[in-house]
Amino acid sequence: MTIVKEAPAAAPNVVARKLTYVKAFNEGLAQAMREDENVFVAGEDVAGYGGVFRMFDNLLDEFGPRRMIDTPISEAALVGLGVGAAARGLRPVVDLMFMDFIGVCLDQIVNQAAKMKYMFGGALSVPLTITTASGAGLGAAAQHSQSLEAWLAHVPGLKVVMPSDAYTAKGLTVSAIRDDNPVVVMLNKVLLGSTSEVPEEIYGIPLGQAHTARQGSDVTVIALGRMVGEALAAADELAAQGVEIEVIDPRTVQPLDTETMFASVRRTNRVLVVHEAVTFGGLGAEIAAQIQDAAFDHLDAPVLRIGAPFSPVPFSPVLEKAYVPDRARIAEGCRRLLERS
Amino acid sequence: MTDVAVEVLLPKIGLSMQEGMIDEWLVVTGAVVAEGDALLRLATDKVDVDIEAEAGGIFHPVVPAGTTVPAGALIGWLLAEGEQPPDPGGTPMPAGPGAGPAAVEPVRVVAASAVPTPSGAANSPNGSAAPRGADGRLLSSPNARRVAAAADVDLTAVRGTGPGGRILSEDVEEFLADFPRGLVAPAPPSASVSPLVRKLAKERGIDLSEVNGTGPGGWIRRADLEAVTPTPAPTPAPTPVRPGAEPQAGDVLPLTGMRGTIARRMHASLQEMAQLTHGYEVRMDAVVSLRERLKEEWADGDLPVPSLNDFLLKAAALALRRHPLLNATVREDGIHLLGDIHLGFAVAVPGGLLVPVIEDAEALPLPEIARRSRALAEAAREGRISPALLEGATFTVTSLGGYGVDFFTPVINTGNVAILGVGRLKDGVEWVDDRPVRTRVLTLSLTFDHRAVDGAPAAEYLRTVGELLRKPLRLLV
Amino acid sequence: MAQRASKKSADPAANQESAQVVKDLHERMVRIRLFETEAGKLMEAGRLPGFLHLYVGQEAVAAGVMAALRDDDQITSTHRGHGHAVAKGVGLREMYAELYGRVTGACLGRGGSMHINDLTRGMLGANGIVGAGVPIAVGAAFAARYKGEDSVAVTFFGDGATNIGAFHEGANMAAILGLPVVFVCENNGYAEFTPQSGHMLLTDVADRAAAYGMPSVIVDGMDALAVHRAAADAVARARAGAGPMMIEAKTYRFYDHQGVKGLRHPYRSAEEVAEWKARDPIDLLEARAVADGTATRAELDDVWQRTRDEIAEAIAYAEASPLPDPADLLLNVYSG
Repeated sequence: MTIVKEAPAAAPNVVARKLTYVKAFNEGLAQAMREDENVFVAGEDVAGYGGVFRMFDNLLDEFGPRRMIDTPISEAALVGLGVGAAARGLRPVVDLMFMDFIGVCLDQIVNQAAKMKYMFGGALSVPLTITTASGAGLGAAAQHSQSLEAWLAHVPGLKVVMPSDAYTAKGLTVSAIRDDNPVVVMLNKVLLGSTSEVPEEIYGIPLGQAHTARQGSDVTVIALGRMVGEALAAADELAAQGVEIEVIDPRTVQPLDTETMFASVRRTNRVLVVHEAVTFGGLGAEIAAQIQDAAFDHLDAPVLRIGAPFSPVPFSPVLEKAYVPDRARIAEGCRRLLERS
Repeated sequence: MTDVAVEVLLPKIGLSMQEGMIDEWLVVTGAVVAEGDALLRLATDKVDVDIEAEAGGIFHPVVPAGTTVPAGALIGWLLAEGEQPPDPGGTPMPAGPGAGPAAVEPVRVVAASAVPTPSGAANSPNGSAAPRGADGRLLSSPNARRVAAAADVDLTAVRGTGPGGRILSEDVEEFLADFPRGLVAPAPPSASVSPLVRKLAKERGIDLSEVNGTGPGGWIRRADLEAVTPTPAPTPAPTPVRPGAEPQAGDVLPLTGMRGTIARRMHASLQEMAQLTHGYEVRMDAVVSLRERLKEEWADGDLPVPSLNDFLLKAAALALRRHPLLNATVREDGIHLLGDIHLGFAVAVPGGLLVPVIEDAEALPLPEIARRSRALAEAAREGRISPALLEGATFTVTSLGGYGVDFFTPVINTGNVAILGVGRLKDGVEWVDDRPVRTRVLTLSLTFDHRAVDGAPAAEYLRTVGELLRKPLRLLV
Repeated sequence: MAQRASKKSADPAANQESAQVVKDLHERMVRIRLFETEAGKLMEAGRLPGFLHLYVGQEAVAAGVMAALRDDDQITSTHRGHGHAVAKGVGLREMYAELYGRVTGACLGRGGSMHINDLTRGMLGANGIVGAGVPIAVGAAFAARYKGEDSVAVTFFGDGATNIGAFHEGANMAAILGLPVVFVCENNGYAEFTPQSGHMLLTDVADRAAAYGMPSVIVDGMDALAVHRAAADAVARARAGAGPMMIEAKTYRFYDHQGVKGLRHPYRSAEEVAEWKARDPIDLLEARAVADGTATRAELDDVWQRTRDEIAEAIAYAEASPLPDPADLLLNVYSG
């Protein structure tokens, strides 16, 4: 799979160095901590253990217990700690381990972090970063596999990023930490071990800017997170059949770069949105609605959404495989969009 | 008068007609029409014909003049007194092209109660133009509507290929490639002239504002143009009639109507077949001297003197009887040798070329061939040939001799496996011992489909034609 | 178990020192009382949009705690937060303007009663979610320690809030991290309309502190001096790095859960209300001040009068203030 890589804003030397997704995240976080003394990390087993996904490996050694804080299993207090510390000028990174756990601290995210600036008349900012692992594919079942970006993208005041590879895992994490708003970084569990080229220097990827991962003329495929790679694989398959799809990686789902999508749709006239989350009420619905609003007259087919069926994430690998969208379903969807008699 | 609304469907004239343009309605909306009254003038890719009503009623058109619609499409209603045209939601679409019998098909009038359901019709395998959803709404994508609006295309004329027959932007683009802008849009509301008339007027340099329209609502009919500048009488053969206005550099000649048909078919022919051409010189001395004699002997009679081409037609037809491989058609399951020998012969007409057909040519005496070819060519040049007479050729003869061409590579008409080109009659030389003797010769150019015919049998056929022409008396009967 | 604070200090030096404090407490309580009673009148007159959870009756708690804090100490408040804001020094004009939904309000008219804040005064906001301010105060305390400052954070919450997870998680988090947080439970006996006996089996909320290894003290929440003494101890302890502590102040709200008389739901007996009103915290303090010579009646009356004038001016300011421009609806949704 090929990822079209953009030159990072800081224009570091582009080194053909490959890093895993989780190491790229770790490197970006460490560099952001070096860059700003106010950045600290709190969460369950983030310090001594290094994170259950090794996301925080070696950070305790470098930054010590003042900046790497192991907390009780208390997500509400953890996020609240982040909110209060952010309100007082720090740049907390709090880790929720599994995104599914967000339910136990949603109030702090939705009612406190997201709204505080607005409710307080702009008196403060909440530069809080929440990291969490999302996505199915590891047999982790219904309480450890969800992609809940639609919940969060629905909340004014929050930003939500979904790194799709190692390069974006680092750049989006750095940007999230530098951002003055609460940002949820949805790492994808299946991608943790995947590799791509990652510059050694610190770099940010602008939040709210979509990336065209592959150019094509026939169908626009807007893919979230892990689905970007699946879409690119589908693109290779379709290219062999003479179909050129354009793959757009929004990277940030809130704010959402719809202009890039509209421009693409105006060229291809057909759109497929694919995400791991259940189709109903997912980002695909929002994207479809916005496209029909802005580019209705450019559509040759209804916007097609591909997502998970409306069920909890199943456990058994055979069920889970059937549950999560993949390259075959994306390719089939593209063919369906192009169907002519 | 009928007592129930009946549909007026665009008639399919001949096998190959896929669509036709309603050149003009010959009755006004609300007029009482009797069975047999001329209802509309139809412009097909081959001819313009007047179409008669097959039933009586109060006429109510559903598409404006100038609209191009597929054969079989609903174009109007004949209503009973006081009856409203049915809700467009109930507008049933007939089966698409190809569903009708092979023969010339007059206006089909179908009782409303007998038509298929709209949804079934919309799913017809041929994807009729103007597909409609169950609610009767034209099925077209938003992008198709945008592209169509920008190009002034009436979507009802476009065949949809999307799911359920939805018109896609690609359909509009393909339609536009066939029918460039300006010639397919329905006339604007204030327009008082059909696109065809507009085109003719342009060709003839007539300012339409000075033409008095005598059609319904002041519509300018073709006849009204004649009143301004009578169409030049057809120039007698052999010079084909040229279009009234010569194309100028910088003109864009639309690939529409006959031009479009020729373009599609010629291209398709070369795409489909493995064509190659043999050149073969034949002696024409005997034919030439026979013609001289016939001119004298038949000068006062009823029998028309056959032209060189007529001899060629007859010879070609007789030779086909001996070489059935060249009177064939290639289908998926194999090469079908045809029993009938129907000879097409190319006639240049303004803006293109038509190929009238002489059926069972090998069985016809030469004078009959002469009579028919003359009549058909005339009708073709004057644009009044029945489409039926342009259908069904199994082999074609085309001549460029009149233009001074010796040898050329004619393109086989689709559905055939060969075409015979006839070159210029010219002087030849035959060496009799050491003495040169003047002869009369011409070169035949036989293009054949190598999928069906090999080089040797093709040459054999040419030799047979040559032998027949050397001894032309047997061609007479 | 929680320590029960003695009602009166036996130490004469402490009583001497409290002369200043009494005046301070009195002034804070009068400001709260008048702010709230006027707000209640405006609400009943239909001049204020939205909800009002008024603090009348509980003034001794806010005043007692806030008098023990510095400006750089942080507090998180509750849905019943006006008293905390007033006592922490938030401007009355900005508060009224906010209640009126004016663009000059403490939240530019975006927050209303339940989100009044003033970062310059260490007021980290009232909060519409019960218990939610607790972890935020923990975070503020964390930030102070992280930055090497010696400020403390105080979080106010009611008896009802101690049944919610955020309270327990926040208490444990503060304790395990040893953070300078003072937990102040204003136990007014009711979670909205449910008496304490209907929502927990404990008599003293302060007992819950023990679950987190946190010391606690119970004080008479109608006695401003008692509250102040307890708060001063807890704050000093936290500032010294000894970790969090809980104060349970037994108090009572004289008004309904929402508004002045609310829906007149008879969840509290008239006798009970009368009994508590007989121990009006301001009356108690004034009586003691006059009795022990800390203040004269005239001095106290002067406080009332000055405060009335200030309140009237603040209300006039709010009413004269412009409304927010709907064109600015999206202001401050995001930073940057």
